[in-house]
Amino acid sequence: MSSENKQILTTDGTPLEVSLKKAEKKNKIKAFLLVAPLLLFIIITYVFPIGEMLMRSVDDKMVTEMLPKTYKSMEKWDGKELPPEEVFEAFYIDFQKLIEEEREGKLSTQLNYTKNGFKSIIKKLRRKSKSFEEGNYKEQIMAVHRRWADVEYWRAIKRRAPAYTYQKYLKGMDMYENEKGEIVNVSEDRRVHRILWLRTLEIAFFVTVFCFLMAYPIAHLLATLPMKYSNLLMICVLLPFWTSLLVRTASWMILLQQQGIVNDFFVTIGLVTDDNRVEMMYNKTGSYVAMTQILLPFMVLPLYSVMKTISPSLMRAGKSLGGTPFVAFWKVYFPLTIPGIGAGCLLVFILAIGYYITPALVGGASGTLISNQIAFHMKSTLDWSFASAMGLMLLSGVLVIYWLYNKLVGIDNIKLG
Amino acid sequence: MNKISKLLLALSLAFSVTTSAFAVTVASWGGAYTESQKLGYGDPTAKKLGIDINWVDYSGGLSEIKAQKEAGAITWDIIDVFAMDTINGCDEGLFVKFDFDKDFPAAPDGTPASKDFFTSMPSECAVGNILYSWNYAYNSDNVKGTPKTIKDFFNTKKFPGKRAIYTGALTNLEIALAADGVKPGKGGAKIYKALNTEKGVQRAMDKIKELCTDPKGGCVFWSAGAQPPELLMSGEVVMATGWNGRFFNAAVGEGAPIVQVWDAQGLDYEYFVLVKGSPNEADAKKALAEMTSTEGLAGSAKYIAYAPWRKSSIAVMEKGEPWYKDGKTNMVPNMPTAPANTKNYFLVDPLYWADNGTELGEKWEAMKAGF
Repeated sequence: MSSENKQILTTDGTPLEVSLKKAEKKNKIKAFLLVAPLLLFIIITYVFPIGEMLMRSVDDKMVTEMLPKTYKSMEKWDGKELPPEEVFEAFYIDFQKLIEEEREGKLSTQLNYTKNGFKSIIKKLRRKSKSFEEGNYKEQIMAVHRRWADVEYWRAIKRRAPAYTYQKYLKGMDMYENEKGEIVNVSEDRRVHRILWLRTLEIAFFVTVFCFLMAYPIAHLLATLPMKYSNLLMICVLLPFWTSLLVRTASWMILLQQQGIVNDFFVTIGLVTDDNRVEMMYNKTGSYVAMTQILLPFMVLPLYSVMKTISPSLMRAGKSLGGTPFVAFWKVYFPLTIPGIGAGCLLVFILAIGYYITPALVGGASGTLISNQIAFHMKSTLDWSFASAMGLMLLSGVLVIYWLYNKLVGIDNIKLG
Repeated sequence: MNKISKLLLALSLAFSVTTSAFAVTVASWGGAYTESQKLGYGDPTAKKLGIDINWVDYSGGLSEIKAQKEAGAITWDIIDVFAMDTINGCDEGLFVKFDFDKDFPAAPDGTPASKDFFTSMPSECAVGNILYSWNYAYNSDNVKGTPKTIKDFFNTKKFPGKRAIYTGALTNLEIALAADGVKPGKGGAKIYKALNTEKGVQRAMDKIKELCTDPKGGCVFWSAGAQPPELLMSGEVVMATGWNGRFFNAAVGEGAPIVQVWDAQGLDYEYFVLVKGSPNEADAKKALAEMTSTEGLAGSAKYIAYAPWRKSSIAVMEKGEPWYKDGKTNMVPNMPTAPANTKNYFLVDPLYWADNGTELGEKWEAMKAGF
C-alpha cells in the first residue's frame, strides 16, 4: 500500500494520523465527561452498596474481636468434649470486659444467630457472674444454666472464630460446617431455604410463561390494529400499569376469595355448588393469577415496540411465496419478534424472582418466597449479614440467568423499544 | 431566581427546625391504634408540656432505627415496640436504659412506678404501654353453636370451616399445646416448659398441621392486624385468632356479628422505648413519663380495648365508666386483663421467643412449605 511509504499530511504539516488521534482524544474526553455523572451515580447507588452487602455477608470480625482470649485458648480444643478450664477462664475474662463496655448484649445477639438459645443464658450469666469466685470457672459457668454444659454451644462459639466466613451462604442453602470441617445438611425439619429457592424459581418461571402466552396476542393486536382502536387498547394495558401494586393485589383478593365475585359467579351459573367453592386464593393459584396480571405490561410493552417495527408486507410476502399463514408466521414473523420476547421474558422473570408483597398477601402458606425470608431477617431478626448473603445469592442467580440467556440467544438480540 | 432560592433556604431551615429541634417524634403502628395513642395521651401531653409530638407510622421491627443510627441521622425519639424488640434493641445498644422509679412518676396514691405496673419489664430499656391479647373470635352468623374453649378452635368436627391464624409461629405453638391438653399453669409457665423441649415443639406443630391439612378445616395465614376481623366478616374463615382490640372495634365500633373467646388467650405487651442519642432525648424523656402516667395510659383505653399497664389506670377507668368514647360501653370488662377474661391465659414469653424465634421460625416455615 502506498500509505506505508508516503505519509499523508494535513495542511499544517502534521501527519493525518496524529491529528486524527488528537481530535479523537478530545472527543473521548468529552464523551467521558458526559457519562461521568451517570458513572458516578451507578458507582454510588449500585456498585458501592453491593460491595457493602458482600462485605457484610462475609465479615465476622465483631465476634472475633469480642472474644480474643477465648479464641486463642480454643485453638487447641478439638471440639469433641467440653472445653478445658482454661477456655472457660478466658471466656470469663472476655465476658467481664464486654459487660464493662455494655456489649454483652451484642454478643448474645450474634451468637444466637449461630445457635438459638444464647440470648437467655448470656443474660443469666451476666447476672450470676457478678458473684463468681476466683478459680474453677468451668464449674461455676456450667452451674448457671444447663446449656453452658452442653458442648454444642461451645462448638457454636468456636464456629464464629474466623474473621471472615462463608457460613451465611451455607445457611442460605440449609447447610453448615460442623466441627470436623465437613459441610453437612441441617436437620430435615429446618430445611426451609432450599424449598423457598425452588419455589421462587418455579413461580417466576411459570409467571413468565403465562405472561408470554397472554402478552403475545395482545401485543400483536396492538401493533396491527388501526390507530384509533390500538390507542384505546394501549390505555387498557397501561392503566393497570400505573395503578398501585397494592391496590391491584387487593382487588384480586376481592375477586378470588371463596366468598368473592368469581366464586359467586360460578355458583350462579351452576359450575360449582355453594359448599364446594373453588379455592383460588391463599395457594399457588392466587400467586400465579395476581403476579401474571401485575407483570403483564412488562411483557406487552417490549413485544409491542418490536412488533410495531415489523412491516406487514413481510407476512404478505411470505404468504405470496407459498407459505400457509402459520408457516409465514412461524418462519417470518416469529423470528423477528425474538428480541422483544427476550427482553420481555428477562424483565418479567427478574421482577418475579424478587417479588414478595403479592405472594405474601394472596399466596397463603405455599406463597412465601425467598424475598419474604430476606425481609424477615432484615426486619425481625436483624441478621443483616444473612439477609445480605441471601440477597447476593439471589443477585447471582439473576446474573446466571442473564449469562445463560446471552449464551443461548445473545444479549445483542434484546430490544426494549 | 435568587429570591426563590433564598426563600427555599429559609423555608427548609424553618421546616427542619420545626420537625427536628422542638418536636418529639414517636413511631407507632398506625391506624386506630395510633389514633388512640394520639387522642388518649399524645395530645394531652403535648398541651401540658408545651412540646410538639409528631406521630409517624412504621410496621414494626428494628431495622429502620438501626439504619437511622448507622447513618448517623436519627429522627425518631420514641418507638412503640414488641417485647422481643425491647430486648434485642437494648442488647444492640439502640435504646436508653431507664432508672425506672426515678424516670417514671408514681401512681396517685404514691405507689412507685415499678410496683404500679402489672409485671416487671423484659429489659431495662422498656416502659409498659398497653397489654393486649391474642385471642380468637368467630362470626356468629356462620357458626352453628357457640365455641367456648380453645379446644373448639381446633375442633373441626363440631365447627367445620377454615381458620385464620397468625403467619408466624408466635402464639400459635402456645395455643396448640393448650388445645392439646397442656394446662397453661401460672402465666403459661407449663406451656413454655413444654415448648422448651423438642417433643413439646413437635407436639404443637403436629396439632397445627392437623388443623391446617384437615379437609374440613384448613388455614388462612394473616399478617396484618386488620385482616382477622375482615376475614371473619367476609365469611372466608369461620374462626380467627387476632388482637382483641381489632375484634372489639369490629364488634362494638362497627356492629359486626363477631364474638370473642378468651379461653387460653395470650396476654402480650406493648412497650415504649427511648432512642439513645435521639435529637430531643431530654424532651422525649419528659413526654414519655407524662404519656405513661396513670391518667395518660387510662386515656388511650377510651379509644381502643387494650388494657393500660398501670393498675392505677384501671382504677381510674372503673370510676369513670362507661369509659368507651361512645359514652355507653363499659371498657373494663372488655379489657384482656378483666377477671372474667383471665380464667385461663398465658403470658407471651418474650425471652423464650428472643431465644428460639429464629429456629422455630425456620421449623414453622418448613412445616408450612409442606402443606
